[in-house]
Amino acid sequence: MRAWKVVVLLNLALVVGVGWGYVFWGLRAARLDRELALARAAAASGVEREWVVAGVVRAVLPELDVLVITHGEIAGLMAPMTMGFRAASPKIHEGISIGDEVRFTLRGVPPNVVVTAIEKTK
Amino acid sequence: MYALGLCARWLHLASSILLVGAATTIALAGRSDRPTARRWEHRVLLGSRGLALAALGSGLIVLGLQTALFEGRGGAALEAGSIARVLIETQAGRVWLVRFGLLAILAAFLWSRLHVESSLDWRAARAQAMLLGAAALVPAAAAGHAAAVEPETARAIALDGLHVLGAGVWVGGLLPLALLLWTAAAEPGADARPYAVLAARRFSRLALGVVLVLVATGTLMAIANVGNVAGLVGTAYGRLLLAKLGLVVAALALAAVNRAVHLGRLAGDGPTVGRPAMRRLATFLVGEGLIALAVLAIVATMTVTPPARHEAPTWPFSVRLSFAALEGAPAASARVLIGSQIAVLGLVGLAAGLAIRGRRLPLVAGALVVLGAGVGLALPPLAVDAYPTTYLRPSVPYHAASIASGATLYREHCAACHGAGGAGDAPAGLRPARPPADLRGPHTALHTAGDLFWWLTNGIPEAGMPAFGRELGEEQRWDLVNFLRALSSGYSARGMRPAIEPDRPWLVAPDFTFAVGPTPPRSLREYRGRRTVLLVLYELARARPRLAEIAGRDGTLALLGVEVIAVPVDAAPDAIKRIGPEPRVLFSVVTEGAQAIVTAYHLLAASPHVEFLIDRQGYIRAVTRGSGAAGDLDKTIAEVQRLNEERTAASAPEEHVH
Repeated sequence: MRAWKVVVLLNLALVVGVGWGYVFWGLRAARLDRELALARAAAASGVEREWVVAGVVRAVLPELDVLVITHGEIAGLMAPMTMGFRAASPKIHEGISIGDEVRFTLRGVPPNVVVTAIEKTK
Repeated sequence: MYALGLCARWLHLASSILLVGAATTIALAGRSDRPTARRWEHRVLLGSRGLALAALGSGLIVLGLQTALFEGRGGAALEAGSIARVLIETQAGRVWLVRFGLLAILAAFLWSRLHVESSLDWRAARAQAMLLGAAALVPAAAAGHAAAVEPETARAIALDGLHVLGAGVWVGGLLPLALLLWTAAAEPGADARPYAVLAARRFSRLALGVVLVLVATGTLMAIANVGNVAGLVGTAYGRLLLAKLGLVVAALALAAVNRAVHLGRLAGDGPTVGRPAMRRLATFLVGEGLIALAVLAIVATMTVTPPARHEAPTWPFSVRLSFAALEGAPAASARVLIGSQIAVLGLVGLAAGLAIRGRRLPLVAGALVVLGAGVGLALPPLAVDAYPTTYLRPSVPYHAASIASGATLYREHCAACHGAGGAGDAPAGLRPARPPADLRGPHTALHTAGDLFWWLTNGIPEAGMPAFGRELGEEQRWDLVNFLRALSSGYSARGMRPAIEPDRPWLVAPDFTFAVGPTPPRSLREYRGRRTVLLVLYELARARPRLAEIAGRDGTLALLGVEVIAVPVDAAPDAIKRIGPEPRVLFSVVTEGAQAIVTAYHLLAASPHVEFLIDRQGYIRAVTRGSGAAGDLDKTIAEVQRLNEERTAASAPEEHVH
């Protein structure tokens, strides 16, 4: 075969090979991305979940049944921050005062979560 | 094993580079029907086939050794499974995979019998060999040190790729060209002489451009991998680079002679001028080629040596040059200024001497004398004492915890002579040979952390300062260095006001780690680039009004990107409880780590109540000293707004000193 034909064929083969690989992997990556998004959405919506979180009480607002707590990361819900949480019942924050280090249980369908239990750790 | 690895790396690098050069040189010389030229081309082709095999074989050895290194056992080098894992799962392996594929295609292409009928065929075949060779060589950049440069990894890889490609064209072209010139200079090769002369001229033109590219990319890469003079002379990588530069300069000198002397004579009268020049040029090219192969051996060693940036440099000289030596010495400043002007004059004279024809020697000699005199006048005042550890970077970060332990160590070991406050005013008792240094002053800031570390370790015998190298561990000595840095920073920060100086960040905020209750610890560094921090060191008994004031504007501050971190100076673990429900404080109140923060930051500004405004880059920009009474928070908010309006973001301070 003439040299120029060999060269053209060789480069064509290279381009097709690389292109095919790229498309193959690209399609696969896109499919995995979709699956991941679906899985995330399923995990995030509609299902009631529960977390146990450590924190320190910053304020108690009995008239609103709200506890303001500085807490660490709540996996899948929120980053570490100081935040007000509604208590499921007034009983829960009885005996809890500012500065108490606590472990509390959050339950609900995100983003509607309430404190269902709380105990002092120190 | 190490020697085998080096040899394999060298062989692989050299053959990959020579492959590119051989293909480029043939393409550059062009197609010719002269028998000698055809014969030369064929011999270069045969050589290329050998090179392709050598590149594949040595590459396999390097890959095997890398696999053994990854897996941590020698046997893995020969196991197909382990090698496959490295090829697929690591970036270096994937680069190998691509390069092996291209090398194999290139080898097959070189070995195949191609029908070359027209010049189109010829050009296509040569261009293809060049392309495959370059494509197999350049990705190596993505598996070397360049791939570990951060930030701007892509830029580093591109530079490295361009550098090796340039090396391929230049270095790889030397030996094939020498072969052509030798063949053409001999009696039976007379038919190829015009062809050889043309090839040499074209190569010379190309090489000039390529060398400029090599110098530019090489310089940029050296800056990324070495960084400074200390890295260049004080680390293994830097010294290898110096050796490489020395050899490159020698090769360039040969190249300059070739260009200036031999190239012009090639076309001269055959028997008397042309052919001897051709032979000499060939000899010089071989010399250049051998030097280049030696350079590649150094490069192969550099690929397995950690870059200077990541190493602790050992300064080999007893002096260094520092402009800090001129602080407060106007006479020396004037001398340096005049000396440098004279040196510039000498440089101009030198350039003129090299540019002007005729009377070159006296002009150049005179210029050199002037240059020497200028340098001799300017440099001595800049020289300051230096030690092997001068450019050592602290192995302990500038962190409040380190400063606090440094403060304790200082009280135990140093205060007896240097005084409790570091002023060098210890009451009595110990009488050293020379008055102890005032450690508060800018004096301390003029020395590198490594200098201080050296004195702590080895003492200053002539001044009567004892050595602490045996008594204190390395970490403790760095703690002391960090303490001294904070002490001296505090002295410099005496004049710091509640108002910021726009665009003038200079006081680095020591990092600190804190926790609020049982939440995971956070550190100041985490706010870098994200939030401005208002660090409040308060004394509860007096600071309630101020805390209430800040708490009242919590929302405004948060909207402006301010994170308030309050630290009780008594470091009470129940600080939140003590504040109680009134005022309703919701910002971070530190319950763990307070002691170290208070110790470190009180060195920077001591006052019953003090607030530090720390910008997003991690610099302290404003200091408010007070008693804890409610002040005017609007002023603080105005300063934050000014910070937010600053356009030029200063580069974040290095975690390490100097």
